Amino acid sequence: MKNTLKFHFLFLAFLSISIASSVFQNLNAQNNEKHKVRMQAYYFKIMDSVSYLNIKASSKINKKNTRISNIEISVFNLQEDEQVKLGSAITNNQGESRFIIKNLNFLKPDSTGIYTVLISFKGNSSFKKSSKKITFKNVDLEAILVKKNNINYINATLLNKSNETPVIDEPLTLRVQRLFKPLILGDELSMTDEKGTILTPIEEGIPGVHGNLIIEVVLNESDDYGTVIDLVKAPIGVPIVDESTFDQRTMWSPRSKTPIFLLIIPNILTFAMWGIIIYLIINLFKITTP
Amino acid sequence: MKNYDTLLNDLAPQKFGRAGIIWTWSLVIISIIGIIAYIDQIIKGQEVTNMHDYALWGIYISNFVFFVATSFVGTLTVAVLRLTHNSWRTPIVRIAEIISLAAIIMAGITIMIDMGRPDRLLYLFIHGRMQSPIIWDVIIIPTYIVISLLLLYFPLLPDLAILKSHFKEKNPTLSKWYGKLSLNWVGSSKQKKIQIKSIQIIAVLIIPAGFILQTIDAWLFSTLFRVGWDSTNMGAYFVSGASVAGIGALVTVVYVIRKAYNLEAYITDFHFDKLGKFLVLTCLIYLYFNINEYLIPEFTSKKEEITHVNVLFSGEYAPLFWFVIIGGLIIPIIVLLFKQGRKPFPMFLIGLLVVVGSWWKRYLIVTPTLLHPFLPIQGVPESWHHYFPSLHEWAITIATLTMALLIITMLVRYLPIIPIQRTADEHEILKTTKKNES
Repeated sequence: MKNTLKFHFLFLAFLSISIASSVFQNLNAQNNEKHKVRMQAYYFKIMDSVSYLNIKASSKINKKNTRISNIEISVFNLQEDEQVKLGSAITNNQGESRFIIKNLNFLKPDSTGIYTVLISFKGNSSFKKSSKKITFKNVDLEAILVKKNNINYINATLLNKSNETPVIDEPLTLRVQRLFKPLILGDELSMTDEKGTILTPIEEGIPGVHGNLIIEVVLNESDDYGTVIDLVKAPIGVPIVDESTFDQRTMWSPRSKTPIFLLIIPNILTFAMWGIIIYLIINLFKITTP
Repeated sequence: MKNYDTLLNDLAPQKFGRAGIIWTWSLVIISIIGIIAYIDQIIKGQEVTNMHDYALWGIYISNFVFFVATSFVGTLTVAVLRLTHNSWRTPIVRIAEIISLAAIIMAGITIMIDMGRPDRLLYLFIHGRMQSPIIWDVIIIPTYIVISLLLLYFPLLPDLAILKSHFKEKNPTLSKWYGKLSLNWVGSSKQKKIQIKSIQIIAVLIIPAGFILQTIDAWLFSTLFRVGWDSTNMGAYFVSGASVAGIGALVTVVYVIRKAYNLEAYITDFHFDKLGKFLVLTCLIYLYFNINEYLIPEFTSKKEEITHVNVLFSGEYAPLFWFVIIGGLIIPIIVLLFKQGRKPFPMFLIGLLVVVGSWWKRYLIVTPTLLHPFLPIQGVPESWHHYFPSLHEWAITIATLTMALLIITMLVRYLPIIPIQRTADEHEILKTTKKNES
């Protein structure tokens, strides 16, 4: 009987330890589970300015799409069998980073003129390694302002740089730069013709500082070419009249800009009243004098 | 017709009886409680009040506006009645001057209480903008205090000289003080000439000063784009409201003093009748402005203003609003239109009703508007939708009211509340006229 009890006790102890260790192992394993990283990259080219990659990193954590900040992403150019490192970028709080391509000539396209860029995250204690490959062709977008029959037009041409041929049937958008987000002009997209050109009229009466409009001609998120933007400075807007009263003397301005009449009238009233009061006090002294 | 000695004995300041002493000590104790609450407010900050982001002007500003309004009685009774040669004003004029002075002093103190730390007053001078009605208020209140003081003091000079002689044997210390304050008044023609000229100047000066004071007080509100305040009617509305509050306070104080000092022979039913007519006139004018202020928005206003007016007419503040309109204006008008209603005791009750109505009226001007901001009201704490003063606010506010009463009580104790010299002169003229007629 005594031996049986001891056996039961040992068995229970062994079982408890086994269960506990397996539970802890599971918990530990859960804690060490690395999340998958989803990477996105978009190619941008601003004519006569910079080319860059907009990179975004996110992950699904607890069934929620979460942006991953502060991870280092390396950027490579794939040249045949070779990977040439272009540099690296670190994501911000929004899980985004912008990698500036200092000179597109450093990148080598394949025989068809397609550039291939690999963005890669090597992984860390929380996230698995991940990479994303994007391709794009180098195109130039040239836009100019033209005037025909008193109507202003934007003439824009899209040209494939690898073979210097026009890019046909690509949609271009016209928009005017504004403080918060660009204002899109017109309702429909303009498709490039056989010369790779569009000719789009600009409506009148668009307000701009000193009458200047910055018109953006945009090839937006093309699968082949990425986003290409050309800016045209067009002095065809209606000048915005500056209605700020900041430098004026107004009722709501600071004390240094008090309206003149408000300096004069209350002061006249105050001095007049206190002048009379002083006269009355002098009268009290006169009464005192025998 | 009373002889001079009787008149002097009747009108010279008298020691308080038992009731007077109890009254004074009660005021002192309530004032001390208020001062303690104020010190606590300075130590802990205005978190001891129930003011919040919406009701940022609470009972202190209502009380301030009430004091400013009440101080208008000096302008009305002294200056206006003097310039219109209403000789019946003589026995009530000094009481009006005293009320006016006490009210405007307490208005100045109340606005400092609302500022939180009193040293913030300095900031108004350092950072104040001349465009702001608050700065105009800072200028006009001390000006009005000084003018009210001079208005009280100049006519007092002959009486102080009389009291100096009167108390020479009875109370030499008091006599000495009266002597100093009388500025060596002997009643010489030169002194009389200067005094009369000065009083005339003050009587004229206090009219624009009083109107400026009330109007600036109104502009503190009407220069803000807030429902219930954004009105061009506000200046005139405040002046008429101040007339009601001032005369109401005057009627009440005159009745109490008359009763306490047995001055029935000097302040007669005739004076109450006149005051009653004066009060009913001011009430009618104020009712007219109230109709303008509340009825027209009901037809023409935008949603915010309709909401505000409905809150007053039938919402949270309806009982108070209708008490103020009916109790503080309509009932006084009806009662005072009848001769029996203008007898002393009914007048006292009506005066009291008008004063209470006037105080709550200022509360209604300030609070409901603040609780209806233009900003979205969603997503703020529930407590921000309502305001009712905290214990600290009540203690401090009641203390300011008792302090005003204490100033009045002290001045009534040591000054002749009915002008002795002027009453004697009037009696003399009356006697001479009667002799000539016979």
